[in-house]
Amino acid sequence: MIGRLLGVAAAALVLAGPAAACTRPRTSLTYLEGQIMCPTCHTTLDQSDSAAARQIEAYIQKRVAACATAGQIESELVANYGDGILAAPPRKGFDLLAWWLPIAGVLAGAGLLALGVWRWSRRPGDDEPPPPTEPALDDETERRLDDLLARLD
Amino acid sequence: MTRPLKLTGQVLALACVAGLLGLLVWRLTHQQHVPPVGSAAPSFTLDRLGAPGSVSLESLRGRPVVLNFWASWCAPCKTEAAALERAWTRYRGEGVVFLGVDYHDLAPDARRFVAAHALRFQMLQDGSGDVTGRYGITQVPETYIVGRTGRIVAHVAGPITAAGFAAVFQRGLEEAIRS
Repeated sequence: MIGRLLGVAAAALVLAGPAAACTRPRTSLTYLEGQIMCPTCHTTLDQSDSAAARQIEAYIQKRVAACATAGQIESELVANYGDGILAAPPRKGFDLLAWWLPIAGVLAGAGLLALGVWRWSRRPGDDEPPPPTEPALDDETERRLDDLLARLD
Repeated sequence: MTRPLKLTGQVLALACVAGLLGLLVWRLTHQQHVPPVGSAAPSFTLDRLGAPGSVSLESLRGRPVVLNFWASWCAPCKTEAAALERAWTRYRGEGVVFLGVDYHDLAPDARRFVAAHALRFQMLQDGSGDVTGRYGITQVPETYIVGRTGRIVAHVAGPITAAGFAAVFQRGLEEAIRS
């Protein structure tokens, strides 16, 4: 009797094992479908219905059910297919250029635009030096002029 | 705008144009083309599938080589697997080397495919598809037959069991053995 009970318990554990392996998945197929490319059709998995895409989706589903993280699954796929399997280039080495070049381009464009607007908004002749002013009156002439004005008042 | 600033801007603009032109040239020269029959087979070295070590095409110079591109997710590959195994059994005694190149495939699935079809010839893996790209493969299965001198003697753009392709495969094998 005890033997039978132990056998049932062991069978239950074996059957429950896979289900209990991951109660809270750490990523999802839906998320990874947008991050992983279909190697034969060069679109992301969510836009492909090819046999190669379905194979990768089945693999992702299996790994998600085993509680693997998105990073782990991506690393495993990169090890098998190379970096080209990722929809976005990795943020390291030469591939960093793919992230920084667009930012540098936008900044350079904004700089050029600002320079153009600044130049355009300036009135023509702003660069010319101000016209020479009249020479100042000497002290004697100024005093006499003040006296004359005072008398007129 | 001061003169040095203007000059720097012009140099930068020219550099951008030159860079884009360089990218265009690189893209045009690296496009995938199907190597024609009679041309030298693109060289490669690939890791073996399910076994340590690698195999290079150069190391097989002097022997006829059948290069079969396949994948475990490809349905027609399943139908031609048995025919390939039979051909290998028949021609290996004449020095013909059969190489299966597994393309854009998950290694565990590929190993299961080999076991399920009891394929005994050498299998290589091209996960990234670099080598497959050099052969202009767009769909699997496809087979190239390379002569003893390293030149392509036949290209079978479909399963070797399909009508029309079987004759091309057979003729190519015989020509490669004679080469």
